[in-house]
Amino acid sequence: MTRRLPRIGAHRRRSRRGDVIGIAVVALLMLALPLVASSSVINVGVYALIYALAALGLSLLMGLAGQVSLGQAGFFAIGAYTQAVLVTKYEWSGLPASVLAVAVTMTAALLVGLPLLRLRGHYLALATLGFGVIVTVLATESDFLGATSGIFGITKPEMNGRTYNSPTEYYLLLVPVVLLGLWLARNIVESRIGRALGAVNDSEVAAESLGVDTFRLRVQVFVLSAAYASVAGTAFAHWLGVINPNAANFPLSVKFLLMAVLGGVGSVYGAVVGAFAVEGLDDGLRRLIPELLPGAVGEVQLIGFGILLTTIMIFLPGGLHQLWTGARRRMAGSAPEPDDDEEEIHLEPVADDVPLLAREGRPAPGTPLLEVRGLTKRFGGVTAVDDFDLTVAAGEIVALIGPNGAGKTTAFNMISGAVTPTAGEVTMAGTRVEGRKPHVFARAGATRTFQNLQIFASATVLGNVMVGRHLRSRSGMLGAALVLPARREERAVEESARELLDLLGLGEDADRLAVDLPFGRQRLVEIARALALDPDLLLLDEPMAGLSGTERRELARLLRRLRAGGMAIVLVEHDVEAVLALADRVAVLEDGVRIALGTPDEVRHDPAVLAAYLGVEPEDEAATAGAEAGTP
Amino acid sequence: MTDLLQLLFAGLSQGAVYALVAIGFVAIFTVSGVINLAQGEFAALAGLVAISAVGSGLPLLAAVVLAVVSVALVAVIMERLVIFPVKRMTTLVSLILTLGVSTGLKALMLLVYGPNAEGLTPLTPGGFSLGGVSIRYQELWILLIAGVVSLAVYWFYERTLAGKSLRACAEQPVAARLVGISLTKASLLSFLIAGTVGAIAGVLASPLYFTSWESGLTLGLKGFVAATLGGLISVRGAVLGGLLLGVLETLTAGYISTGLRDAVAFLLLIIVLVARPAGIFGRTAEARV
Repeated sequence: MTRRLPRIGAHRRRSRRGDVIGIAVVALLMLALPLVASSSVINVGVYALIYALAALGLSLLMGLAGQVSLGQAGFFAIGAYTQAVLVTKYEWSGLPASVLAVAVTMTAALLVGLPLLRLRGHYLALATLGFGVIVTVLATESDFLGATSGIFGITKPEMNGRTYNSPTEYYLLLVPVVLLGLWLARNIVESRIGRALGAVNDSEVAAESLGVDTFRLRVQVFVLSAAYASVAGTAFAHWLGVINPNAANFPLSVKFLLMAVLGGVGSVYGAVVGAFAVEGLDDGLRRLIPELLPGAVGEVQLIGFGILLTTIMIFLPGGLHQLWTGARRRMAGSAPEPDDDEEEIHLEPVADDVPLLAREGRPAPGTPLLEVRGLTKRFGGVTAVDDFDLTVAAGEIVALIGPNGAGKTTAFNMISGAVTPTAGEVTMAGTRVEGRKPHVFARAGATRTFQNLQIFASATVLGNVMVGRHLRSRSGMLGAALVLPARREERAVEESARELLDLLGLGEDADRLAVDLPFGRQRLVEIARALALDPDLLLLDEPMAGLSGTERRELARLLRRLRAGGMAIVLVEHDVEAVLALADRVAVLEDGVRIALGTPDEVRHDPAVLAAYLGVEPEDEAATAGAEAGTP
Repeated sequence: MTDLLQLLFAGLSQGAVYALVAIGFVAIFTVSGVINLAQGEFAALAGLVAISAVGSGLPLLAAVVLAVVSVALVAVIMERLVIFPVKRMTTLVSLILTLGVSTGLKALMLLVYGPNAEGLTPLTPGGFSLGGVSIRYQELWILLIAGVVSLAVYWFYERTLAGKSLRACAEQPVAARLVGISLTKASLLSFLIAGTVGAIAGVLASPLYFTSWESGLTLGLKGFVAATLGGLISVRGAVLGGLLLGVLETLTAGYISTGLRDAVAFLLLIIVLVARPAGIFGRTAEARV
């Protein structure tokens, strides 16, 4: 076992270094441009830097929140207009004006985002498109904003007696701004927030079950993305000197999207590279097309945008970032993956009753934790779960068994908040949780695993478990962006995640992609992930499925130790013998109805249960009597 | 009262155009789950092709037929070149792909037909007044043809084998394939329908509302809103949604402010989607876990 040394953090560290190299290369290229290029090329570079910020925000939104915005130019325009109004009408100086402009835009984004982000996918994309249209309409209609002709006379910024009025000067003013933007973005991607959002993209219900408040994080990223756009807008207003409703134009939103997609969605420096490439293309096409087609006027460069967008999505969906990582991997030679032999896990042979993960503040054994009353779910005419009652106390293992289609998983889904019940109540540690999101359930101290696995596919095993620590760590967007306060916490989170992995015998797989693991081990990853939350109540949906005999015994031992540590466990399981040996109490479901509840012995001899399992059709009266006997 | 009737009538004919665009969204979405952002461009392109054909001396009807056929062809080519090759069609990918096509078509129209908005010759010029409500003949044509086309599409989905197999693909893709329905053919057919219906919308609308290279943007957005109002998977819902949106828009323009006209669609989209839980939409049933 010791011949393979654990490769601590290898995967993550490598990707971090890749980012740093990427950003360094981008920084050098950006700084080198003014040395070699003519002033008209630098002028293109100025626009590239301005738009790069907006594209960077959009890339964060797409990469982290998995949502497309077709209205990024709307926020760009709000920033630009606010800046223009403050500078020309109220004679503010540039810097404080831009701070207020960004704040105004972020507020607007919050107000727009709160209703909009309840929408998903297509709906959200089209709604943001509509938002962009509205901004254009409002700007065109408003006399205060100069209607169609817009606001003129925004001066070039002056600082310390220096006026940034040549392309080179303005370019060099913008480079540090863009680098700062890159650095903050990268920190957020690497942070607790970035990790949680990545998990949401892989499996929203699993991330929510670990306490990730998806909606809240999405709103935060949306507002952040708008903030980037507004910084770009203020820079744009000063450089152009005039701002009109075209700033919110749909083609500009398309341009931002193209920059982000070309660079590689979610790769932060990719957005900057994409911005330079697209601005270069834009400028080239604007010159070239009128020469080829005399009389061509207007936004002719769009033809290139359209073709590029389509071809990238078909042939290179990861954008330039994909090319870059592909090339680096080829240069490095394919790194040998650890061999995939499926060894059985060997846990330390510890007695069954040694408490595990006991902690202060855990409810005393016997305290009722989960109370389910009259839980009912109807799908159309089918009643999947009918008037289900269950009370689970701290420190006990309750099993939920029943034939296929009995409604066990539906009951789990309702209890954990993944599905809204038709009727009934669920109270977890005093909090009513039915019909609310899974993260509410998690906040109340309970989490679950899933029957058909919900592994975070794009994360390592360690990464999966670290998401489980979401509620046990607190660094937010701002702290993450500034990195310093969050570093320490990150280390603590990683450490505790590794401890859990070792406990479940997954320590050696910590840095592998979780999806590369065999099925049975993925189940264990889910359990480790759930334990990382340090819950008072753990719901396990068929935890034994796919495990070998030894693994099942090890898992049963682990569950007993958790019980000894004061945790309450409810499990749905098909392996009835394993369950009867493990559980303190057993509830039996058939056709959505709880036909029995009692100790394993009672249930074993319950005629209704026997009938349900063995298909014996008892006389009606006997069955009814049995069901009543089983119901205390 | 006359004002109200006038606005209602204008709203219905405008709404009939939205309804046709909306049917195009529904046709494609039900089969492949793709929201075709180029749907509005289909309409704009048809209008411009017809205008230029009339300009080069073709009779109006021939120009209209030419426009509809060529846009249907464009839709089919789009499906083969852009939708068909993609193996893993996520929401994000489909949005960006169709956005790319939409942008490309826009630019193509700009290059070929120039930047100006023009109107197609009406099928019957002029109009008449009925109890103070002035009615243009083209508006009657819009209502009539949109009605016939909607009924035809509805009949196709409800009564013909091909239509039923398209619905089968939407409802049970795996089962549909098991009984021998080809998803690729279904996807192609859905684009053909979307292109044809969108093109008809374009040539009908052009005489009254004018067509330019960028008029597909708002038309597409509104068609999408109309389709969403109707649940995004129902032809009947799309038609009702289109009419409702058209009427609300003209009422807003008439009684509140012309400038807010374009805001109505957007607000309606938000209100409907946020206020009504996802459950009423066929595709967004609660995730199975």
